[in-house]
Amino acid sequence: MSLDTLPRAMRNNHRRARPPGRRWRSRLDVKAMPYALVSPYFILFAAFGLFPLAFTLYYSLYDYDLTGTTEWAGLDNYAALLADSAFWRATLNTVSMFLLATIPQMLLALFLANALNKRLRFRLAIRMSVLLPLVTSVVAVAVVFTQLFARDWGLVNYLLGLAGVDPTNWRAERIPSWIAIATMVDWRWTGYNAIIFLAGMQTIPRDLYEAASIDGASRRRQFWQITLPMLRPTMIFVVLNSTIGGLTLFSEPMTFYNGNPDGGSQGQFQTVAMFVYKEAFREFDYGYASAAAWLLFLLILIGAAINFLFVRRIGGTK
Amino acid sequence: MLISKRRGGLAAASALAAAALAVSSCSSGSTPESSAPASSAAAEPVTIRVQTFGGGSNFGYKNAVDKWNAEHKDIQIKYENLTDQFEQQYWPQMIQWLTSGTGAGDVVGIDEGGMGLAKARTEWWADLKEYGLESRKADFPAWKWENGVAGDGKLFALGTDIGGMSICYRKDLFEKAGLPADREAVGALWPTWDEYMNVAKKFQDKVKDTKFADGTNTLYQVVLYQEAAKNGNISYFDTTNNLVVDKNPAVKTAFDFAQKMSQQGLTAKLRNFTDEWATGTQKGSFATVGCPSWMLGVVSGNAGDDGKGKWDVASVPGGGGNWGGSWLAVPKQSKHPKEAAQVADYLTQAQTEASVFTDFGNMPSNTKAQQDPAVQGAKNEFFNDAPIGEIFAKSAASLQPVFLGVKHAQVKNAIESVVQGMDDGSVPYDKAWQQLVDDAVKAAG
Amino acid sequence: MTVWKPTVLTRVLLGLAIFLSAFPLYWMLVIASRTNSDAVASPPRFLPGGNLGHNIVAVLTHPEAQFLQGLANSFIVASVVTFSVIIISTLAGFAFANLSFKGRNALLLLVLLTMAVPLQQMGVVPLYRLMVSLEWTGTLKAVILPYLLNGFGVFLMTQYTRQSVPMELVEAARVDGAATLRIWWNVVLPAVRPGMAVLGINTFMLMWNDYMWPLIVLNQDNPTVQIAINSLNARFSTEYSLIFAGTALSIIPLVLVFVLFGRQIVGGLMEGAVKA
Repeated sequence: MSLDTLPRAMRNNHRRARPPGRRWRSRLDVKAMPYALVSPYFILFAAFGLFPLAFTLYYSLYDYDLTGTTEWAGLDNYAALLADSAFWRATLNTVSMFLLATIPQMLLALFLANALNKRLRFRLAIRMSVLLPLVTSVVAVAVVFTQLFARDWGLVNYLLGLAGVDPTNWRAERIPSWIAIATMVDWRWTGYNAIIFLAGMQTIPRDLYEAASIDGASRRRQFWQITLPMLRPTMIFVVLNSTIGGLTLFSEPMTFYNGNPDGGSQGQFQTVAMFVYKEAFREFDYGYASAAAWLLFLLILIGAAINFLFVRRIGGTK
Repeated sequence: MLISKRRGGLAAASALAAAALAVSSCSSGSTPESSAPASSAAAEPVTIRVQTFGGGSNFGYKNAVDKWNAEHKDIQIKYENLTDQFEQQYWPQMIQWLTSGTGAGDVVGIDEGGMGLAKARTEWWADLKEYGLESRKADFPAWKWENGVAGDGKLFALGTDIGGMSICYRKDLFEKAGLPADREAVGALWPTWDEYMNVAKKFQDKVKDTKFADGTNTLYQVVLYQEAAKNGNISYFDTTNNLVVDKNPAVKTAFDFAQKMSQQGLTAKLRNFTDEWATGTQKGSFATVGCPSWMLGVVSGNAGDDGKGKWDVASVPGGGGNWGGSWLAVPKQSKHPKEAAQVADYLTQAQTEASVFTDFGNMPSNTKAQQDPAVQGAKNEFFNDAPIGEIFAKSAASLQPVFLGVKHAQVKNAIESVVQGMDDGSVPYDKAWQQLVDDAVKAAG
Repeated sequence: MTVWKPTVLTRVLLGLAIFLSAFPLYWMLVIASRTNSDAVASPPRFLPGGNLGHNIVAVLTHPEAQFLQGLANSFIVASVVTFSVIIISTLAGFAFANLSFKGRNALLLLVLLTMAVPLQQMGVVPLYRLMVSLEWTGTLKAVILPYLLNGFGVFLMTQYTRQSVPMELVEAARVDGAATLRIWWNVVLPAVRPGMAVLGINTFMLMWNDYMWPLIVLNQDNPTVQIAINSLNARFSTEYSLIFAGTALSIIPLVLVFVLFGRQIVGGLMEGAVKA
């Protein structure tokens, strides 16, 4: 990912060769145009990136009350937040659901991609069916899953009942609620990630495998020794995406509790994003919500850093 | 192959865009504003959006709205019941709309638990005095009227219904359990809550797949309101808005009773006004539920036609009580405050409130409606022709309000989450009380 | 050449994967085509019933449901954002990948840093207050504008352009006297189409499924499709067949597009993903 790939000397050569009348205009074009091209992004960045960040910081220093009063609070919101067990509970929920969703999802997606990489009839149809969940609506599907996981008349408990398992209260028990939500997330994204992995796999030169076969390496060994390391760039893309999506998880757990940010009677599956939403739009404490948003940001940075290191490790070239 | 794939990618993207354009132009052809298709008259009718909350038949305005719309071509009511849940959904959403200046309806329902805040934020509301509704004062008991008047004298809300108290029960299941099933006899079974619990145990011994009570929350509320009446008519806040959750014995008494019911396994562990609870009403997950007057419509609406005749209404243990009851207000952001005030006026008239009671069960706060013979003699077909007029109208005049603080709704949600949490197992029984107090303090913060 | 034949186990597991992908959608149709009491029947009903048309008509004509409006709004929001993000990203990506200018590396680093920030969630309070003070709440522009900022798009297109537009091509065009914008149009855009496809599909689906921000800034009378389902779910608490008919309706348009253009979408995703 080298940032400087420009053969500058080559360009200068060409420019010298141009007819003199066009030189001035073309010089302006070359000098100024790049800035014009990137400017839309940076203007938007100033308006919808820097501004909210700065003002989130500003709001986080005030105490807003439902009755309409606003008072300077300094760092009180941060102090209160760090001592707020509900915030830490939301953090733990978020991280747990993220891990509970992402780890099986990656393994399944890799496996699925490997299977899709075989010679199959109806190849397109199969690829499309695993991609199908992606083109559905997230809230619609969460509504369906919520009904499937209903305590009293849900299909999942019914099937578990046939196997002799007592009904689970999926919304009241913490770990079952995480499992239910992780299931929704995985249902949606496993196929998509498999297709991305598959694309990555197809760029791996076949002769690598042939050489390995000749050396007597088993299929399984080839997968670990060749496929996985060669997939590293794809892996970075997929894992980073899942991390950001996972740590900002909102729609599925919201819908799982009737569109309510409490996330269960005792916040069993309240995520940090829901915590921020609740503080801002249920309690109308904009200051507290803003402070929480900053800590969410920190969480994401930490998450991104950890899995960057992780991916580097598993994809290590040794 | 490669090339056709590439073209395909762009083709797919442009197809999506084209489809989007097609749909968007379709929809702008038939604008959503045409919500009153019947009007072919010259003048476009004013649409007044009435927003309410509550399960089942909620405010019971269905027939009254149809009647108005048939009679008034110039003003059409659009009746939107937004959600079953007041504290968790409706009220925060409404607060957001009211503070942001758009989104709220022209006439909005407010539960008693939201009135403290509504009163404190008078800038949200239109002054109904400007539309001549001061004249309605004589129609309501003093407390109901005064709660709709803000400190600065602004008249911002008119009373709809009041609570009262009863127990709705499944007659057929009582028979199945070998208990008396006649409403007089059932009422005689439980003069006190201890006796109610004894009946519950007897019932539970005989019937396994139906729990006696719906959950901890409804019972907790019923007892809380009864006890509040014995403790200075306050619940979570005293009249100067100090949090008294840990000092008011009414709260602890109600909590202890709910906890005992739960520990004995007599509850279906359902939180009221959730989907599961509503489904549970239909599927017979529980045999009794605390029933203020407006709950009748919730039960009948949730149970559906299949429940007709299976349910009945008996008197409540521990004497009367007044849980719930609502008001209608006109947000300042309404573009048609005059017409909205007319609609609010209509919906709180004696005649309308009386018909709501006879059709659905919400007890009128309008005193003229309370005295209406049709109300006093009303029977409810769904509840086995129970004489609901006798049950509710008799005590209506004597009902007293419980003071609810500015942040009552927020504290109530926090407390009910704990009361529910100890029922569904997410809060240990021995820690529940302390957590209830802590969470209430936090919510009042 | 090794022949990679699938084992029986692979076939079975693939079949299972396809079944699991399709089952929730099938279940949606089952309930959408039945009655409310069927939805909570025990044992569950596994086959579709005959009420689908009835339930769909009920949702579409229900005065409170705003369903078509929600679908139309989502199409508008998702298309406008997708189109704009593609333009903004290909322009910037071209500049970062093929042009040289002072501060390029620093600016690109900034893009990379912002990529990991879910600004629409993090800055939700100020963005909301901004929309309130502009009196934009309840309008689609309040949903669209914040999402035009898409660091991922710029990053993706930078990577993609770098790999698929050889410098020689740009230089050759310059020799021919083409201005920068013309090069972007004639040389870069045709070469980065698969990248645009993958960015477009991602952005479209992101917007289509966005829930938190529209929930905050839109009202229920002018919803996106996710908000319409949410209010349907809140308003018709136990009318499962009606709610499920609504969820089915919200999914059908995209599934249709997907079925029609499946080859291109799968191809575009795969090709785009490799080079990024």
